[in-house]
Amino acid sequence: MRQFLIATAFVISACGEQGSDQTLNYYFTYDPRSLDPALSTDVPTGEVVSQLFDNLTQFDADAQLKPGLARSWDTDAGGRVYTFRLRQNASFHDGRPIKATDVRASLLRALAPGSTGGRSWPLYPIQGARAYAAGSAKEVAGIVVRDDSTLVLTLEEPLNVFPKLLAMPVAAIVPTPTPPNFDQGPTGSGPWKFVSWSHDDAILLAKNQSYWGGAPKSDTLRIRIIPEPLTQAAEYEAGQLSVVEVPVGETRRWEQTHADELQRRPALRDLYVAINTTRGPLKDLRVRRALNHAVDVRTLLGTVMADRGVLAAGSLPPGIVGYDSTRAPYGYDPAKAKQLLAEAGYPNGFSIKLWRTQRAELARLAQSIQQNLAEVGIRAEIVERDASSARAAVRNGEADLFLTDWWADYPDPENFNFPLFHSRNTGSGGNYAFLSDAALDSMILRARTTTDETEKTRLSRLIDARVFELAPWIFLWFPVDIWASQPDVTGWRIPLVFTGQRWMEAERTR
Amino acid sequence: MSRFILYRLALLVPTLFGVLLVTFLLLYVAPGDPVQAMVGERADPETLARLRAELRLDDPLYQQFGHYIGGVLQGDLGTSYITRRPILRDLLERFPATLRLAGAAMLFAAVVGIAVGIFGAWRPGSWADRLATFAAYLGVSFPVYWVGLILILIFAVHLRWLPPSGSSGLIYLILPAITLGMRSVAFLSRMTRAAMQEVLQSDFIRTARAKGLHEGRVVLSHGFRNALLPVVTVLGLDFGSYLTGSILTETIFSWPGVGRYVLTAIDKRDLPAVQGSILFLSLVFVMVNLLTDLLYARVDPRVAYD
Repeated sequence: MRQFLIATAFVISACGEQGSDQTLNYYFTYDPRSLDPALSTDVPTGEVVSQLFDNLTQFDADAQLKPGLARSWDTDAGGRVYTFRLRQNASFHDGRPIKATDVRASLLRALAPGSTGGRSWPLYPIQGARAYAAGSAKEVAGIVVRDDSTLVLTLEEPLNVFPKLLAMPVAAIVPTPTPPNFDQGPTGSGPWKFVSWSHDDAILLAKNQSYWGGAPKSDTLRIRIIPEPLTQAAEYEAGQLSVVEVPVGETRRWEQTHADELQRRPALRDLYVAINTTRGPLKDLRVRRALNHAVDVRTLLGTVMADRGVLAAGSLPPGIVGYDSTRAPYGYDPAKAKQLLAEAGYPNGFSIKLWRTQRAELARLAQSIQQNLAEVGIRAEIVERDASSARAAVRNGEADLFLTDWWADYPDPENFNFPLFHSRNTGSGGNYAFLSDAALDSMILRARTTTDETEKTRLSRLIDARVFELAPWIFLWFPVDIWASQPDVTGWRIPLVFTGQRWMEAERTR
Repeated sequence: MSRFILYRLALLVPTLFGVLLVTFLLLYVAPGDPVQAMVGERADPETLARLRAELRLDDPLYQQFGHYIGGVLQGDLGTSYITRRPILRDLLERFPATLRLAGAAMLFAAVVGIAVGIFGAWRPGSWADRLATFAAYLGVSFPVYWVGLILILIFAVHLRWLPPSGSSGLIYLILPAITLGMRSVAFLSRMTRAAMQEVLQSDFIRTARAKGLHEGRVVLSHGFRNALLPVVTVLGLDFGSYLTGSILTETIFSWPGVGRYVLTAIDKRDLPAVQGSILFLSLVFVMVNLLTDLLYARVDPRVAYD
């Protein structure tokens, strides 16, 4: 008994230390897949990789593109050749300076068949990269080391978003050769150094005192793995987490009880129902518009999501170039929906399947949409599957409607328009509506390749307007993130992209 | 006895082979595609095809199964599609956490459940017995999920006596062990009460009392010992199921056990991880059952296996 009490006292005192001023406590909802950037296909891996490693470019919390290991870069007049100049004072955590050859080796490693997690597409625009990844070429012609601190990347075709793609976790710079057990305890060059990883439990990081951008203000970043949102909230309320995302169901209460601790930020995210434009009645534009008029989006947003969103009238969220705040959503109008259905030859409606994953917050939403559709005569059967099965079916074109969302990896209209609506990306590429519109395709490609920012903005607005007109989705809303941070935590903001918060300025002031 | 053990161990082979075959076939026919789960969004068809080939998913079913069995026979449960780590290592890393939680839950259930059951049989109809009956109904009726969150709310958020979740020390065990063990407490208390009531009405108990033995000794030494068999059965079965992972409890309390590992593997369509986990956990379950059977002979000399 005495031993038990001593052990308990020890544990209690250890708890106190974890919450000391120098430690920040954060969490993921599931264990990262790996700590190797080449395997970063999921959000936790991407987030932790952005703490441990550097990229040539990187995002801040406002999703502004900043110089990373590259102190500067420029592009030729054609927009195909990018020249990156590296920092002289950057080094890996083991003290070795980072050279252009390390960058080249890292990019090749991420592309190499067998070592990738299947998400090296951000590097495919580089000349020869796709063939190298497929195993049909031994070299990548588009990656050239000019000297220790200069790297030239040549693209297959102009792509204005390319510097943003280099800020993706898969393009992080790793030491060459990578040390053994790299995926479990890597040596990086980022603001935080790896200390330990207890799977499904916690990851411990220590600040990198000699970081080229200055050391983080706190000593330790402890990342717990806490899958249940209500447990996350309880950990925060018990003072064990520095920040927490407020669970949707808790929003109203926390707005009363934690008002001073809350931060709100419109996310770069769409919540929508993809309409497969190649299936049955859904081929008809009038039917797709009818679906948009049939759903009472404003009421759903209030009742199901506690008003945590901005009504969508297009796919580009606020904060993305091309977003048009003046365009009105379709609006709830069941009479008009019935009229459009009658015009399309479906006065008595039709039967359809609405797919959704098992995410709890989608359950009520799907039921409400089902009810709304029933009011105009559309009999929607809800098909609930795990994420993998649902995604496979949707990508194979087997789903009529799919309730889902889209998170921006990088803040650019290209990250919405190209994957979600270009005909090249139907199915697994992200275009779950299987939309194929020649005019839209042409504008999307022009917006990707132009080197003129004004033209890009103009085209992005036109693309978004055209998407809205074609109604490949039931446009729901752009979610607004609500997080709480402890009263004594300063220097932390909700990041707009998942790699944008590197915990450099965050600290506990008490 | 040793022949019995050998026989039961030999039975393990067809049992585990059956488990493997059924799991493999079920996963094969289940919808979903592991490669789609691996790559996330924005995957191109070439990458998907290349990964399918790398993972041998395009091979005929019998070849895939043969390849897998070949590995298992050499003690290799394969490598996770998602983490690229050896599955056996992942499981062995998480099993001690599950063992700790299962042990603590069983200890809680055994102490509380048996004590309440004995008391109920000793003083049937008393207010304490009625309260225990009512509590047992509550114990089996309330879902684990709800109980766990309520305990967190009371003891971690409001009273701040205990940590809400995690696994950094003994104190972290208390709430999840109570949550997990609560159902067993309910079953055990009812089971013990029923068995004890029967035993306490036996002639030998009357004889013991007539001899002038102390009531405590009558109830515990003579009564409980003879009521132990059904109690051991419940304990063994529950312990076996706890050891195979308690997905809900582990999720609510962020407990890094095998339950969450299996859940993640299923969610990600990590086929070798699901197969490996089920094989491993089946082995654990069968071994616990065997130990329970052996325990019967220990607690009741009338049970003989030869």
